[in-house]
Amino acid sequence: LMLAPSVTPATKVVCLTQVVTPDELKDDDDYEDIVEDMRTECGKFGSLVNVIIPRPSPDGEMAPGVGKVFLEYADTEGATKARQGLNGRKFGGNEVVAVFYPENKFSEGDYSG
Amino acid sequence: NSGTGGRKRKSRWADDEPKPVVQLPDFMKDFTSGIEFDPEIQALNSRLLEISRKLQSGMLLDDRPEGARSPSPEPIYDNMGVRINTREYRAREKLNRERQEIISQIIKKNPAFKPPADYRPPKLHK
Repeated sequence: LMLAPSVTPATKVVCLTQVVTPDELKDDDDYEDIVEDMRTECGKFGSLVNVIIPRPSPDGEMAPGVGKVFLEYADTEGATKARQGLNGRKFGGNEVVAVFYPENKFSEGDYSG
Repeated sequence: NSGTGGRKRKSRWADDEPKPVVQLPDFMKDFTSGIEFDPEIQALNSRLLEISRKLQSGMLLDDRPEGARSPSPEPIYDNMGVRINTREYRAREKLNRERQEIISQIIKKNPAFKPPADYRPPKLHK
């Protein structure tokens, strides 16, 4: 596992950890709000291809990656800017930690990180 | 932020500027700014420290011998008949005023200075 963000090589995918709580994700309205907030803010750094926010399953079971937000950019440049610009920002009162996420894992739908 | 209200709402992103990648702890900022080394501010700071210590120590604030004292003002009593403006009370008030004054001066020279919680900025009008 990658511990230090600075050591991880740049990828097109940025993972925001410690951003959202499972509770917020359960509610559909809240969930949509969060997605919208992410699109708006994270789109400022580059061309945003995809925003993935894992949700807990309806029966309350935790899915891998819940609490994280994955941002896929068109290029590493956008992802790099986003990682720098978002790290340390506050989202809903939580201090965001932004790290690069392995592209192969992301494309496989593996959000266990 | 219950999400049950209207659909139009504020973004959850805080407005604050992104932080620089390397952040110095707060106490280091004072040193990097260099303003703490300004001799004038240092003098004010040390006087402030002295006054604060005196006020908190509980020691007698007016220990001048009787002969060295200037005449007291007219006594003021509270509704219980206890004198308010005792010598000690006046000495304390005097130090408090000086303390506030010093803090105002430091703030003027160093706007980044964080005044103590009990500091009240002077009123603009009397």
